[in-house]
Amino acid sequence: MKRLEILNFKSPNRAPLKVEGFLFGEESKGPSLAIVGAMSGDHINQLYVASRLVEYLRQKEKEGKVIGKILVVPAVNTYALNMGETFWPLDKTDINMMFPGYHLGETTQRIAAKLFESLQGYDYGIILEGRRDQGMCLPYVKLIQSDYEDLDSARDLGMRFIHHRRYSPIETVMLQYNWQLWETKALSVVFGKNGSIDPISSKEVHGSLVRFMSKRGMLDIPVFEGFSSNVIEPDHITVLKASHAGIFEPLVSCGTTIEKGGTLGYIFDALSGEKVEKIVTPISGVLTCQYSYPLIFQNSIAFRIASIE
Amino acid sequence: MGVIEEVFSIDLPVGEQFRIQRCRYIPQSGETLKRISIVSGIHGDELEGQYVCFLLGEWLRANPEKIKATIDIYPAINSLGIDSITRSVPFYDVDLNRIFPGSKNDFLPAQIADGVVNAMKGSEIAIDIHSSNIFLREIPQVRIAKSQAKTLVPLANKLNIDFVWVHDAVTVLESTFAHAMNMHGTKTLVVEMGVGMRLSKAYGHQLLDGILNLLAEEGFLDIEPLDVRKPIQSEIGEVAYLNASYPGLFVPAIEHCQMIHKGDVVGHIVDPLSGQMLDEVIAPIGGILFTLRAYPIVYEGSLVGRIFGENG
Repeated sequence: MKRLEILNFKSPNRAPLKVEGFLFGEESKGPSLAIVGAMSGDHINQLYVASRLVEYLRQKEKEGKVIGKILVVPAVNTYALNMGETFWPLDKTDINMMFPGYHLGETTQRIAAKLFESLQGYDYGIILEGRRDQGMCLPYVKLIQSDYEDLDSARDLGMRFIHHRRYSPIETVMLQYNWQLWETKALSVVFGKNGSIDPISSKEVHGSLVRFMSKRGMLDIPVFEGFSSNVIEPDHITVLKASHAGIFEPLVSCGTTIEKGGTLGYIFDALSGEKVEKIVTPISGVLTCQYSYPLIFQNSIAFRIASIE
Repeated sequence: MGVIEEVFSIDLPVGEQFRIQRCRYIPQSGETLKRISIVSGIHGDELEGQYVCFLLGEWLRANPEKIKATIDIYPAINSLGIDSITRSVPFYDVDLNRIFPGSKNDFLPAQIADGVVNAMKGSEIAIDIHSSNIFLREIPQVRIAKSQAKTLVPLANKLNIDFVWVHDAVTVLESTFAHAMNMHGTKTLVVEMGVGMRLSKAYGHQLLDGILNLLAEEGFLDIEPLDVRKPIQSEIGEVAYLNASYPGLFVPAIEHCQMIHKGDVVGHIVDPLSGQMLDEVIAPIGGILFTLRAYPIVYEGSLVGRIFGENG
């Protein structure tokens, strides 16, 4: 294992921002993969999975099982992680909205450019992502349609769902889109709840990453098969919104198979305690995401259900 | 007297509503289909537009007989952010101006964006007033995507601003309020002026004159057009960006909005710990310093200024 300094960026008063990568194996022996962990300060679960993977790969390398080249960058925005911020602490910009970066541009554009430079030339790229909302979700693959995406390799993660959809304008400045354009088969694995660690999701994601590396020829180890992934398009997702604001009490958790008519949760008036809403599913399917903060806004998305009806 | 209306409301969890309000002024003869929307506060830390909204409301209250068509004033789109010095939508930490046109079936910021579009759809013109951010001070200017230049530049020239900046189309800006409204056929101008979290009174009055002129020329007010300044057009020159080469404390050497020469010192970056001067920020071209950093802490790459220089 080589510990690489991907960037060292001076601060006016803090210790320098150091972004480190952990490199395993050799390129000449097999395919290559780069994995990027926490780009935001609240992506603690992503940091956790990435750093545990570094430890795992260190063992496997000692055992002579690494046959490709694997780079893991557990954390990019360490400044934000170290102070409970989400984005770049000074100007609140999101590093994952700055790709492909610009060496002569603003601070986070320069950080993105340096990181992106170090990610060039890999056959595969996996971004460990958190959610953009106050939700938690079943781990899934987010694969945007840039015309360069690779669904076959995404299936080798063996995750239950692959959300395959057209990119939105803001995604054109995100890592996945740009990485794909620069000819790396890039995808994102989205999981967990921002600001926390979910051990079950973490194990599942770890298992998927190991499966991917084994199936794609970077690790010489046998693995169990995962799911035969369901490719989900936006039409397959039913959104259940909270008609009322208040205290949210979910009765089910992500991954649960639910039947049409089942009660998924309640909302209580935050002051009077009155039950103001019972959330009932109009469709059968699998609960993929749920609102994860105890106070809920009116019209917030309480649950997302994947179905094939 | 304008009528205050609530155009969007969502219950917050504990006994409060997130709401967007407008003040609608109509002709004494009644409401018209011809409508303009004056908008501010999409970013909660930008307050210059709030002052302009006040000044315009004050003028309209004093001159109701001059109103020929519907004039809507929306001073506070991100009302939760404005009242808490928060640029993004609080709780979600999402830049509202990167989520348009929004959706009813997405998280709260997207629903707010959808509500804003629906409230203003049908307006002939919209003026979206921003204050740069807390880091940079800007002269009054309008920014326009190249694809919209033909329609919007003539309108921007009526606004009594100093600079019209036509920039290349960038896909990410398709998520802005202005792009969403332009796609709906509402001619939408984005004004940037002043600095975040502060008021620049003179700029407020300058833009008020511009808005009154535009309202007169476009048939919203029955007044004579005002004698407004002719803005510099970006097509006739180039914009030079001044980014910090070192982290430290940026100390400007000259005032904002000055004409400067190539080679002039714009400011210094200094190290308060060692007492050393780290860098001299030098103007790479001559022209007008239309952007100057207001917040002194800089990292490498932080924008400290922008100069517009005419070609030749």
